Amino acid sequence: MAASGCLLAALSFGVAACGSDDNDSGGSTGSSTSASSSGGSNVTIYSSLPLQGDSRPQSVSVVNGEKLALEKAGGKAGSYTINYKSLDDATAAAGKWDPGATSGDARKAAQDKSTIAYLGEFNSGATAISLPILNEAGILQVSPSNTAVGLTRSQGADKGEPDKYYPSGKRTYGRVVPADHIQAAAQVTYQKDNGCTKLFILNDKEVYGKGIADQVVPLAKAQGITVLGNQGIDPKAANYRALAGTIKGSGADCIFFGGITQNNAVQLWKDLNAALPSAKLFGPDGVAESAFSSKIGSKAEKQTFITNPTLDPKLYPQSGQDFFKEYKAKYGADPEPYAIYGYEAMSVVLQAIQNAGDKGNDRQAVIDAFYKIKDRQSVLGTYSIDENGDTTLSDYGGNKIEGGKLVFDKVIKAKTTS
Amino acid sequence: MEAASITETASAPPPARKVGDVLNAYALPLLLFGALVAQFIYDPTGTLENTKTGLSNGMVWALIALGYTLVYGIVELINFAHGEVFMIGAFVSLSLWQTFGVTDSTSLALIIVSIVVFLACAMTASATLNVLIERAAYRPLRNAPKLAPLITAIGMSFILQNVGLLWRPTPDQVPDLIGSHAVYFTIFKVDVLHSDVFAVIITVPLLMGLLWFVGSTKHGKAMRATAQDPDAARLMGINVDRTISLTFLLGGMMAGAAGLIYSLYNLTVRFNMGFTAGLIAFTAAVMGGIGNLKGAVIGGLIIGVIQAISDGGNFLGLQLGEAWTPAVVFGILILVMVFRPQGLFGEETREG
Repeated sequence: MAASGCLLAALSFGVAACGSDDNDSGGSTGSSTSASSSGGSNVTIYSSLPLQGDSRPQSVSVVNGEKLALEKAGGKAGSYTINYKSLDDATAAAGKWDPGATSGDARKAAQDKSTIAYLGEFNSGATAISLPILNEAGILQVSPSNTAVGLTRSQGADKGEPDKYYPSGKRTYGRVVPADHIQAAAQVTYQKDNGCTKLFILNDKEVYGKGIADQVVPLAKAQGITVLGNQGIDPKAANYRALAGTIKGSGADCIFFGGITQNNAVQLWKDLNAALPSAKLFGPDGVAESAFSSKIGSKAEKQTFITNPTLDPKLYPQSGQDFFKEYKAKYGADPEPYAIYGYEAMSVVLQAIQNAGDKGNDRQAVIDAFYKIKDRQSVLGTYSIDENGDTTLSDYGGNKIEGGKLVFDKVIKAKTTS
Repeated sequence: MEAASITETASAPPPARKVGDVLNAYALPLLLFGALVAQFIYDPTGTLENTKTGLSNGMVWALIALGYTLVYGIVELINFAHGEVFMIGAFVSLSLWQTFGVTDSTSLALIIVSIVVFLACAMTASATLNVLIERAAYRPLRNAPKLAPLITAIGMSFILQNVGLLWRPTPDQVPDLIGSHAVYFTIFKVDVLHSDVFAVIITVPLLMGLLWFVGSTKHGKAMRATAQDPDAARLMGINVDRTISLTFLLGGMMAGAAGLIYSLYNLTVRFNMGFTAGLIAFTAAVMGGIGNLKGAVIGGLIIGVIQAISDGGNFLGLQLGEAWTPAVVFGILILVMVFRPQGLFGEETREG
């Protein structure tokens, strides 16, 4: 924790230092900063997603969703022309998001005078790094996919969260996907529905993975499920045979993995399937992608259950159903689960810029407009942005896997205590 | 036990040993063995199960570790690209299975033939790659300061990772040709799986063959002579460059074989698998005594067992688990380095 605190402080100072040379981008604490002082009526929206490794299919789909939303808006918001720049926060060596690449992307956006908003990151752990940098620069950040509770709320979060992510003291971040206090409740409901009585929890030790695992523990206990353990895994292990043997010995009938595909989830699933072929394996939205579903094999498919905020297309309003059709027509394939959230993240930012009126190039005015979004009729349904920056949407989808693809099972109405 | 090494001379008499030296040599192995016995008494079935898993995992580490130790023994270079050579071996074998349509529903005879033939192909591909790397990236720096080839090796590692990323950007399924997780037999309540048996029957002959080659053949003698003193070896008519290439060839062959075994054992391959595997195998080589062939093999097996027992989660009541495994492995490596810097079985490298 101390190390991460130092990192955050260093990053914040780094941006402050950059800002000292650039009155438009850094150093401010979110006061009225014009994003177009050098570009007239042009403003820039950055996207930062992991475009390398097995995250790529999901991320490309999200980028396509963002582009589609911008295209439908005619490339403009209000009287402002939008420049869109897609960045990559992954590295080949890591095969997933990387802290250095993430902070590099955030710095690039912070130092660009024309930046008005930043769509990303995909992973909550990455946002824990980019958020303080962008917050210091007073730039609106909207994630299409972050679900870690601590990014916006203190309840159920680690010590110091979420304040440590907002060095300016002002909120600049929001998300269009329901957070993990809702997903965790949906997970436990799904587990209970599938007859789980003894649950073993694993996590990949990241902000997101450990966060949702920790959220599931008390909720499962409250539902009468015995929690046999909550253990971190080594994401770089060659296999998990010994761990699977331990879980088998514990008598677990269900296993939940809090983590992402890129942290060796496919190997974990194969070894769990081999050791516990009759147990039920639960995963969160971090594995709700083709890179996972198409790789775990037909044997493990039958015992796998995934929660994911994306619902059956038929359950969305007409505009949402149109999105799926338009996406397939334009890109020739069905979108990955988070593409619709990419579309919505871009759309809501465009609305915030438009709502800011003449101040659509003013970073603080756009942030204020974003927090005032109420009863927005979107592709996802009608929602508002609350004071934390969270969406008021709360439905989660339960999914199974058939033939290597996620198959929608049912809507889970998660019951949360807050 | 006297460990064989790449620099061991055929006629040199063993040096006299004092009691202190013997204690120094055997204290740590005995300590590790004692810990294993204590864990067995504490949890017999679990320890047997984990030891079995660790030994079969360790077979792969041993094969890769041999490549590190061979190369270090002869040119004192840590070939950080070796893990990626192993990854390429795994990719080659999977590509061949896919190309020729070999799946778990193929007849047993064809599966066996495909494994034997593709094992040879993977070994050839990795060996060729390793030789090319040596020729293009290391040989020009043979007389440069040691830091230069070390950095070059890291560079080659990244280049090959990116080749792997272009080749197979996502984790890929390997057809379950050997019924990897099926139980072959049960002994003392421990299920020995097809994959455990497979790892042993492929790895042991390769290890024995390599040890025989280095220890008993003319080329092996040339390797040992070159490792001991390249200038003297050259004066004795040994083609040092060719001998070094041969060393890379053998290391690459072992890595290619390890790649195929790993893929059938774990049923998943991914482009960055070589980095972690390489790091673990390098650790095994250092633990055994880098430059020492038998040390690398035993180091690989020891690391495999340590990993499995740590993964198992309960060591003498101490709650470890997957998350702690890297810390445990490297913690023990630090202990070995502090109390026996030459490795458990003695470092044998070029003098002066």
